[in-house]
Amino acid sequence: MENLIYIALFAPLVSSLFAGVFAMSPRATFVGVISSILLLVSFFASAQLAYFVYSTNAVIHTTMMPWIMAGDFFVEFGFVVDHISVTMMTVVTLVSTVVHIYSIGYMDHDKSFNRFFSYLSAFVFSMMVLVMSDNFLGLFIGWEGVGVCSWLLIGFWYHKPDVSRDENPSISPSWAANEAFIMNRVADLGMLIGIFILYWSVGSLKYDVVFATLPHLSETVLTTAALALFIGAMGKSAQFPLHTWLTDAMEGPTPVSALIHAATMVTAGVFLVIRANPLFAMTPEVSFFIAGLGTFVAFFAASMALVNRDLKRIIAFSTLSQLGYMFAAAGLGAYWIALFHLAAHAFFKALLFLGAGNVMHAMHDELDIFKMGGLKKYMRWTYIYMGVASLALAGIPVFAGFFSKDAIIETAFNEEAYVLWGMLVVTAGMTAFYSFRQVFLTFAGVPRYDTHHLHPHDMYRYVLIAMSPLALLAVFAGFFKEEFEAFVTHLLPSYHMSEHTHHLVGLLTVIVLGFAIGGIYLAYKKYYNGLKRDEKCENSFIYKLLVNQYYIPHFYEEFIAKPYTMISQKLWQEVDMKIVDAIVDAIAYFFYNSGDVTRRMQTGNLSHYLNWMAAGTAVLLLAAVLFA
Amino acid sequence: MDNILTLLVFFPAIAGLLGFVIEEKSMRVYGITVTVLEFFLSLWLWGIYDGANAGLQFVEFVPIIPSMGVNYYLGLDGISLFIVLMSTFMTMIGVISLSIKKNLKNMIISLLFLEMTMIGVFVSLDAIIFYLFWELSLVPMFYIIGAWGGPLRIYASIKFFLYTFTGSLVMLVGMLYVAYAYHDLTGVWSFALTDWYSVVFSVDAQMWLFAAFFVGFAIKVPMFPFHTWLPYAHGQAPTIGSVILAAVLLKMGTYGFVRFSLPMFPDAAVIWIEPIAVLSLIMIIYTAMVAYAQKDIKQVIAYSSVSHMGIIMLGIFAMNAEGITGSVFQMIAHGIVSGALFMLVGMIYDRRHTKMMDQFGGLASVMPKFALIFGVMLMSSVGLPLTMGFVGEFLVLIGFYHVSPMITILGGTSIILGAVYMLSLFKKSFFGPVTIEENRTLKDLNANEIWSLLPLVVLVIWLGVYPKPVLQPIDNSVHALLKFMDEKAVNEETKALIHVATKTKEAK
Amino acid sequence: MIGLTHYLIVSAILFSIGLVGVLRRRNLLMLFFATEVMLNAVNIAFAAISHYYNDLTGQMFAFFVIAIAASEVAVGLGILIVLYKKNGSIDLDDLVSMKG
Repeated sequence: MENLIYIALFAPLVSSLFAGVFAMSPRATFVGVISSILLLVSFFASAQLAYFVYSTNAVIHTTMMPWIMAGDFFVEFGFVVDHISVTMMTVVTLVSTVVHIYSIGYMDHDKSFNRFFSYLSAFVFSMMVLVMSDNFLGLFIGWEGVGVCSWLLIGFWYHKPDVSRDENPSISPSWAANEAFIMNRVADLGMLIGIFILYWSVGSLKYDVVFATLPHLSETVLTTAALALFIGAMGKSAQFPLHTWLTDAMEGPTPVSALIHAATMVTAGVFLVIRANPLFAMTPEVSFFIAGLGTFVAFFAASMALVNRDLKRIIAFSTLSQLGYMFAAAGLGAYWIALFHLAAHAFFKALLFLGAGNVMHAMHDELDIFKMGGLKKYMRWTYIYMGVASLALAGIPVFAGFFSKDAIIETAFNEEAYVLWGMLVVTAGMTAFYSFRQVFLTFAGVPRYDTHHLHPHDMYRYVLIAMSPLALLAVFAGFFKEEFEAFVTHLLPSYHMSEHTHHLVGLLTVIVLGFAIGGIYLAYKKYYNGLKRDEKCENSFIYKLLVNQYYIPHFYEEFIAKPYTMISQKLWQEVDMKIVDAIVDAIAYFFYNSGDVTRRMQTGNLSHYLNWMAAGTAVLLLAAVLFA
Repeated sequence: MDNILTLLVFFPAIAGLLGFVIEEKSMRVYGITVTVLEFFLSLWLWGIYDGANAGLQFVEFVPIIPSMGVNYYLGLDGISLFIVLMSTFMTMIGVISLSIKKNLKNMIISLLFLEMTMIGVFVSLDAIIFYLFWELSLVPMFYIIGAWGGPLRIYASIKFFLYTFTGSLVMLVGMLYVAYAYHDLTGVWSFALTDWYSVVFSVDAQMWLFAAFFVGFAIKVPMFPFHTWLPYAHGQAPTIGSVILAAVLLKMGTYGFVRFSLPMFPDAAVIWIEPIAVLSLIMIIYTAMVAYAQKDIKQVIAYSSVSHMGIIMLGIFAMNAEGITGSVFQMIAHGIVSGALFMLVGMIYDRRHTKMMDQFGGLASVMPKFALIFGVMLMSSVGLPLTMGFVGEFLVLIGFYHVSPMITILGGTSIILGAVYMLSLFKKSFFGPVTIEENRTLKDLNANEIWSLLPLVVLVIWLGVYPKPVLQPIDNSVHALLKFMDEKAVNEETKALIHVATKTKEAK
Repeated sequence: MIGLTHYLIVSAILFSIGLVGVLRRRNLLMLFFATEVMLNAVNIAFAAISHYYNDLTGQMFAFFVIAIAASEVAVGLGILIVLYKKNGSIDLDDLVSMKG
């Protein structure tokens, strides 16, 4: 079994290094093919491990080698394959494999084709380290690793120049990449603090040891540790107020958005909460904060998606919103439901992004859905895929999203958090609306693009075939809910609805469905037959507020980035140069100048020297007389 | 091999003397040969070093002025071993990558003398010998900056010399006082550190002595507000000068704290934690911000050095094995990473004769290999796990968290602010379109440059993934140091604060 | 009766005259005269005190001073002549080449 673990873990690394060797050579298709094969190997290994864990219920621990040791501190590269990590491993490698194959087609004409695969595989490796580690510091390696890969991949087209925010809200790929990295670093500091607290109160960072010791710790320690770790999760999972980087991250190539910024990396925060569930279960205040923040973000992000015109940004907002749902579930204690939604969401959201990639490919990188329309004629399969994914996202029965999202909303009701429940239900309606607004504006109606120059066509056949596993899972994953629950609740606390909720479950489902279908109907009515722009609405205050993301990016720019630059400048030029350095120089010049002044005593005239000598003697004599 | 330390110290100096009779054109090969030999000698030293023994090894003791207790007294433990290795390594890499054509012979001879003084500082166990090497190290560096530097080189080199010299004079007074106190106590003169360790000073005396030593060391580190000589020195020094200055000379200050201040004045050190932590915080945050405002790539890295030295200072005063071990490890990591960054800046300067960020842009497309190596070093500099930078920084922060969570949180902002200035530097010079015509035709790294950088890259990743061979000997010696401090401390509060690791032995 | 005090007063007056000469005169030759006056002032004091204590050491010392003063004048005058030959002046205000 140990070998399988290492195969699953290191196949992506080998793939990355292999592609890296060719990073500076001209594009070669075989690089992509071999990378994809290695990823497939990793997937098979993960799947086999999943089967092993499923059939034996055994948890595999393995230690590769020691890492850091100093004083009492000791941490190793240790990995654990249990029900949680194996679920993540399978989901991650499956989506990664699909995305790798997809990228062979999508990045077809890019001159940095080989480099792309190197980064992408390196990301998968980091993600595997993140989910497989058996201690918090190992998780942190993966945590930072995915951050760097995300930085590299968002800024993949680094050669693009900076433009103004009005022209492109994310300024440039390299700007967006830096923003993502720095914002994540802010959260990582929180995570590090959490690690420090755990180390000094437990003495180890191993999950097993930490969780076993938790009951002996004081409440303050638990609360601060949980809060600090959650701050880390907030950054990676782009929760308010650290959310702005995620939509800007859409500057990266679309496969990256699908893999990193939808399916895997951004869910790392949720994974952390699920992984550390014993800690969060013991800190109800923090958990409730998580649920509240999650619900707020679900609603908040969905509201911004309602009016956005950018194909990828809409999906990014919806990712944010769905992450909010996951946090809501995890915060309310329904960890397995959060994990289930995480997996289901990975499938249909990756599918949605890849579909968007197909559209971009056909439209020559146009992203404005107001300039599309009528594409279903030319892109039948993409239409079907995106339709399926949107239905799953909207939570329509049969599709995966229905089972997972509905369970979360029920949980909110069950916990008697009716405000959260209400917000989540409304958000479900908004989700349905913006998903189908996007689908209809893209595929239905008449073309709004320049039909003379653009002749849209669907993606390569093999790419479409590669996407099919995701489509199938988006449809059918929900049917395995019971099995999934049985599987993961070996490790995670099981969660049962109360009798009361159980009675009302039919009604609750109908309410949620009513909102979802209402949303779709509204979108259908408004956009199916083409775009009718409503000037009055577009000039309203709320519309502007939403389009500008509540002016939060502007706020950050004006109140954080600019003052920081200004203060830095001042500190350098005013303080460092004019005060600190000037004082040093002043001391030096004082001695220099005093020498320069006293030098004049040395006139060369013997007579003057004799005068000085006599004066000096007189002074000395006087002193001798006075002090004798 | 009994006299290996003497050999290690004086081999470069003797080779340097012989260098005067070598022809100019074969000087480069000669320099490389000597530094490589010296490096292998230090590797051998590591090979025969007994990692399980935490005490001083390879001790040499020859009386020079017996009546005054001045002895030629050398020795080395886990703390100094790796700093010595790093010094020989960086000198070797520096000489290999040397691109100076003017007066190459003098340059190499200066470097060899500098190497002697650097190693001398780290292996001396006699205060007078230590002081001798400490001051002598200024001379070659003064010459290197003054003779091969930029337009402001005279100002920069004199500032560097006078500033650090002033500080060390204060330290000398402190040393003399300690020797005098030892004489008072025992009736014999001694400048041997091991003798000095046994003197227990009153807390008052400790405070004054600590302050005297502090001035000498803090200027060398350089701690805020004594740091302003550094940007000038770096800004004007030739590449090799910056590499050695950042990699090794700054470490003398922090090494001094570990070797002198902590074991000799444990109580004062504990009392001084707070002011020093505050100064370190200012170093970390303030210089990170100043670094962000810089327009010159080299100045960014110079200020970032100050910021990283702040982390090292925090670790030294964490008073636990995590922090001090992390600190010593970070000294080595910072030496390698900042050395590499200065070398990289030197390479681009050789091509374009400017270091201004606005003169670049889009270099990643023109010089991909250069960008790659720069990227690796940058990531190590901002403390990415699995690179050297992370191990040290993490240990320091976790160590200091035990002393003060609040200060650690503030100090931890270095991982954010470091990312801010480094990534903005990277974006300005490497990303975006190529806007300046001259940059379009820049040549990527040549074989010589790649071969001098590659060992650094390998080291940064190797010691990031598997730091154990380095961490363990350091940790053993630090453990012994802490135990000693704990036993020696006068105040009860000091004993309470010094955290002697208990499980070190089991963990092995 | 003329006592020790009177001798010492004379000595002090002579010394002051010499000192003023040293301080005020610009001519090197005059400077020499002034120093001689000061030395002799000291000699008077030596002799007087020697007599007062009945101890010959003071008078012996006075002879030493006379001898030293003589050799000093010999060397000094030699230098003075060379200086005059070189510069054509022995005025101190003209001899200021060694200023800082």
